[in-house]
Amino acid sequence: MRRPKRHRRSVLACVAAGGFLLSGCAGEAGGGTTDGATCDPEEIKLIGQVRNQTNPYEAAWLSGGDEYAESVGLEQEHLTYDGDSQRQQEQIRQVLAGSGVECTVLNVLPNGDSDTAPIVAAADSAGALLVTHWNKPADLNPHDFDRWIAHITYDDEKSGYQISKALFDDMGGSGGIIALQGILDTSAAQNRFAGLQKALGETPGVELLDDQTANFDRAEALSVTRTLLTAHGEHVRGIWAANDDMALGAMQALEAVGRDDVKVVGIDAVPEAIAAIQDGTMTATVSSDGPWQGGIGLAMGYCAATGELDPTAVEDENRAFYAQHFLIDESNAAEFADRELDMSDFECANLFNRATGPIAE
Amino acid sequence: MSASSEGPTAVARVRERRPRGADVVHAYASLAALFAMVVVFSALSPQFRSVDNLTSMVDSAAVLAVVTVGITFVLMLGAIDLSVEGVIAACSLAVALLVANTRTGFDLGVAGVGLAILLGAGFGLLSGLLSTLLRIPSFMTTLGVYAIGLGVATLLFAGVRPVVEDPWLNGWASDRFLGLTLASYIAAGAVLVGWLIQRYTRVGRYAFAIGGAEDITRLSGVPVARYKAIAFAVAGAFYGLGAVMATSQLGSGVVEAGTGLNFAAIAAAVIGGTMLAGGRGGVLQSMIGVLVLTVLLNGLILAGVSPYAQRAVHGVIVVAAVVAATWPVRHRLGVVK
Repeated sequence: MRRPKRHRRSVLACVAAGGFLLSGCAGEAGGGTTDGATCDPEEIKLIGQVRNQTNPYEAAWLSGGDEYAESVGLEQEHLTYDGDSQRQQEQIRQVLAGSGVECTVLNVLPNGDSDTAPIVAAADSAGALLVTHWNKPADLNPHDFDRWIAHITYDDEKSGYQISKALFDDMGGSGGIIALQGILDTSAAQNRFAGLQKALGETPGVELLDDQTANFDRAEALSVTRTLLTAHGEHVRGIWAANDDMALGAMQALEAVGRDDVKVVGIDAVPEAIAAIQDGTMTATVSSDGPWQGGIGLAMGYCAATGELDPTAVEDENRAFYAQHFLIDESNAAEFADRELDMSDFECANLFNRATGPIAE
Repeated sequence: MSASSEGPTAVARVRERRPRGADVVHAYASLAALFAMVVVFSALSPQFRSVDNLTSMVDSAAVLAVVTVGITFVLMLGAIDLSVEGVIAACSLAVALLVANTRTGFDLGVAGVGLAILLGAGFGLLSGLLSTLLRIPSFMTTLGVYAIGLGVATLLFAGVRPVVEDPWLNGWASDRFLGLTLASYIAAGAVLVGWLIQRYTRVGRYAFAIGGAEDITRLSGVPVARYKAIAFAVAGAFYGLGAVMATSQLGSGVVEAGTGLNFAAIAAAVIGGTMLAGGRGGVLQSMIGVLVLTVLLNGLILAGVSPYAQRAVHGVIVVAAVVAATWPVRHRLGVVK
């Protein structure tokens, strides 16, 4: 689902230049830096930016943001850029060109690692509050900035490991599996697969028969799985997929050939996968809690804007952290099926409760 | 298609100017490429030769085959269609919402499938009308229609995927007859219908003529704009059917149902011998291309090519197949842009 995109150096150069221009403008306007100053809650502008609204995860993210915004009597502005880095930067530029920028909160999913730097530069020099998710270069850190409150991501290797363990347990600790990888040149795909390999190393009874990429795509997973099932037939007892979409595609392939003895796991916790776990047709998935991600960035910004949170006072290791994720299996699927946001997560004192430690380099 | 055999004599004259021999050679060349591929993969992998794999390949080819039939009509005109993925997205969501599903109360069954195909035809007609009435190149108009389709699909999706609960539609992907899923038979039927349209209706015959020499066709009194628009609509209807089949296979309405199909369909048509310049090729030739691509994807996995190298190997072989298929007629292609 999360697909860090191609680097576009020329775009970056332009955007970086744009960021410097903006910093100049803000300085001249005289209202650029507002350290210590607070915003009237009604003047705070909440903005959520994701790639698109065509997948359940990002749609849930935005609805979580809406719910939080409503709880503080505001409305969230939605921005979607269709996985186009250039468009993302353009949208950020437009937002930061308006007035009252210092009371603007941006909760952003950068398209790829390299897109984060210009966003941070532009937001910081314009004085907007920023929280980023998933993608950032390793050497760029929020604790070097005043207005970039935090970067939130998840330990993909651990997710990949946890679903592998759940899969192996469900298979009784032995048998052959096939793996459906994500887009091979993304860190998400690589780290999740590393988690699988770690689990395989600990479980000698389970053999990896084949690994193929289905590019995080459901239709591609369907056809790849069908081919792998002809290749390995009855030896396949489990299917490990790097996201739920591919897991669901694999399950359709199993249904088409009439196999119901193969266990399937994925990552993302899309509603269809949770329903499948409840039905017993799927074994496990991992949730990053998209609605929480949509709300928490806005909440951090809101608290900082009203002066209840001083980003510079937060410990460095909480400024860029792995957030808690949840393994969903038969035992707790019902609980996640109709889960509601817990608004106490968004209170200014609880903002960092889900931090599980600094991001590993 | 009621318009039938009352002979379009002007068109017949246009077609006679072109030697048919080149087409025949071309079809043999792509068949030879397919045959070579089958031989190599059979030697490399015993599973590739199995009956199980044969049925699995036919099932996998079904959606691509139907979409390729559609795009062949557009390519025959000498136009291009980049709207496939958008149209499929909209039709996939539409059909999932119209048959029994987890989101809406509709349970239209066959009528829902019919409406989705009509929606596809509507998108195709829109592309065609925009191209002909406003005289905008088809690659621009279809790119616009692609965006419209994706937009419509996003609105219909509204954050929650509709899961198909209609047992009849789900059966397309799982019910089998002689080892093949129903979807494969539907695809075979669609190819037959496509061939009949191409061979025996004005839409098909004029499409050839328009692609071959649009000016001459117009001077012969053929209402070129009208038949172009209709050809686009026919193509759209096939995309709609492809979307319904993909939705059945995926089990729910998915915006990304058509990802990659546009490029694959154009590649299949070109490998088969439907020239991008228009006026050449046809539905059956395009099917050879569909088989080439399907065999390739399947064979690379079964032959044990590393997933890291597959994409590159796939690209190289597709280019080689196009070269092999077009080599015998390259002198007839004239200027290549």
